[in-house]
Amino acid sequence: MLRSLARRKLRTGLTVLGITVGIWALMVMSAMANKLSAIVVGGSEYFDNKVVVSDSINPAFGFGLTPIPLDVVDEVAQVPGVALAAPRIQFLLDPNDSGSGFNTPDFVVAYMAGFDRGYETFRMEVAQGRETTLEDEGRRVVLLGADLARKFSARPGDQIDIRGTQFQVIGVREPTLTFFDTTAVIPWAAGQELLRQEGAVSRALGGQMPELTSMVIAYPEEGASVDDVVQTIEREMPRLRAVSGDDFDEQFGSTIAIFNAIILSVALISIVVGGLAVINTMTMSVIERTREIGIKRAIGASRAVIMRELVLEAGFMGFVGGLTGLALAALVVFVANDAGQSSGTILFRLTPAIAALGVAFSTVLGALAGALPAWNAARLDPVEALRYG
Amino acid sequence: MAVPLLEAHNLHKTYRLSRNNHVRALRGVDIVVEAGEMVGIMGPSGCGKSTLMHILGLLHSPDLGTSPPPSLVVDGADVTALSDQERTRMRAERMGFVFQTFNLVPTLTALENVTLPMEYSGRRRSEAKESAAGALALVGLEDRAEHRPAELSGGQQQRVAIARALVTRPALLLADEPTGNLDSKNTAEVIDLLHRFNREHDQTIVLVTHDSRVSEACSRVLTMDDGLVGSAERER
Repeated sequence: MLRSLARRKLRTGLTVLGITVGIWALMVMSAMANKLSAIVVGGSEYFDNKVVVSDSINPAFGFGLTPIPLDVVDEVAQVPGVALAAPRIQFLLDPNDSGSGFNTPDFVVAYMAGFDRGYETFRMEVAQGRETTLEDEGRRVVLLGADLARKFSARPGDQIDIRGTQFQVIGVREPTLTFFDTTAVIPWAAGQELLRQEGAVSRALGGQMPELTSMVIAYPEEGASVDDVVQTIEREMPRLRAVSGDDFDEQFGSTIAIFNAIILSVALISIVVGGLAVINTMTMSVIERTREIGIKRAIGASRAVIMRELVLEAGFMGFVGGLTGLALAALVVFVANDAGQSSGTILFRLTPAIAALGVAFSTVLGALAGALPAWNAARLDPVEALRYG
Repeated sequence: MAVPLLEAHNLHKTYRLSRNNHVRALRGVDIVVEAGEMVGIMGPSGCGKSTLMHILGLLHSPDLGTSPPPSLVVDGADVTALSDQERTRMRAERMGFVFQTFNLVPTLTALENVTLPMEYSGRRRSEAKESAAGALALVGLEDRAEHRPAELSGGQQQRVAIARALVTRPALLLADEPTGNLDSKNTAEVIDLLHRFNREHDQTIVLVTHDSRVSEACSRVLTMDDGLVGSAERER
């Protein structure tokens, strides 16, 4: 089998290359789509069963950057259906970086440890060190998201600079594929302090600084409608914007779904082209080997034997193409992720499942594409085939 | 008298070339071959020799709708109307073929070519290799086992083909103009080889030839003309 493939090195090589490119595209695109989906799923899970309230002039989805008075927390808490409302401070780590492309910008978030009183359903694990606790109030400590820790090459015990103030790293979170990965969590008091330093805010308020927050997280009561809560808040407090998991799904889910569909169709087109290349090569190969097939049939090879030989050959081409494609895709993903690491961006997620599926897929694709020419070959009249050529 | 190795009666074969153009290649052939015979079939081109070989070799079936119906018995098995699969198995296990144009698989070595029929008849790989090496030795080409067909002379290629035909120890060896593409020295070698297998191993052989030197080695010669086996048989 290998020898008959080796006999036509150029053609076999080009066919394998065709599959390689197809599988490569499929893998890289799937890795990207996988990452995007993970972001959406992560976001969707995070926003599930809570309402994020922020100033209505905030352009970004659910990222409250405009300070609002802390009194708003009490107002939100009065809304029917709200079980608990808690403040959260959030601002950009670097005021000049508002994020780009698919990346969420780096954030600083401040809240009181345990503020959710168990209402929060989105679980985040700590990879190194520990979570912030109430005892940390008044201290300058920080819990880093996974991407942020990588960006700063920071580990528990290190000092990092946040808006000109030194904070000690006490922990690093596991990746969550949400904006928490690029977020530094600091105690509530430290967040207040930093927010007050904000020059523009101080100036605007003429030194009269009320207590501020960036947003309010509201957890609905059990059985209460999240939609009703959102509508009530927006109706009664027109300067606020309230968003829920449904809004998130609506805004990002469909966009990402379309984006993924485009990515995957491009990859699938490459695969179809690769498959046609296999059909073409195997058809040519069968025609070229008509006589050889006749010989084999005459000396006792059954149709099944001829079929098997050709299908295996085609499947092998698919397998090699898939494997090469996988290797190239892994290389691209590795290099791109490595390059993105310094900026904390991991653009691709190439899982073993994608890899195994991709190789299996291209093997089956090759075998299937070879099956039709092989079937034709197996049905040749041996006498006719022997006369050929 | 023992049961003949091959007994065929009333073989007809009509090829349809187009709707109104039929060629009656065989028009009622009867042929009986005893085990251990070496039978030569001679005749002008177009007389149906090759068609007869294809039917005896189970590559094609005879016309089945004739009256009286055809019958073809090879090595005790009625093979008149077998399925493709059954005919393929018969070819693999009980028949050997030698062609005018050698028909070796160009990408395989001599040894691998000879191994093929053993694999097709379902033998274990080690046994197949061993038998193939033995068959190559019998045709005097053991030192060419790893050569490709292109690296062998015509005579050597035909000897490899003979080894391939005989490796499964078939009941019947069919040869269609086995010396048609060879010079006289190689022709003599191939004749000698076939003759030797016939005498020393009691190998039953049916061959088609134009060459009187080949027919002289045969124990019996049949002549064919216009789709019929003539009565002019010559016993040696």
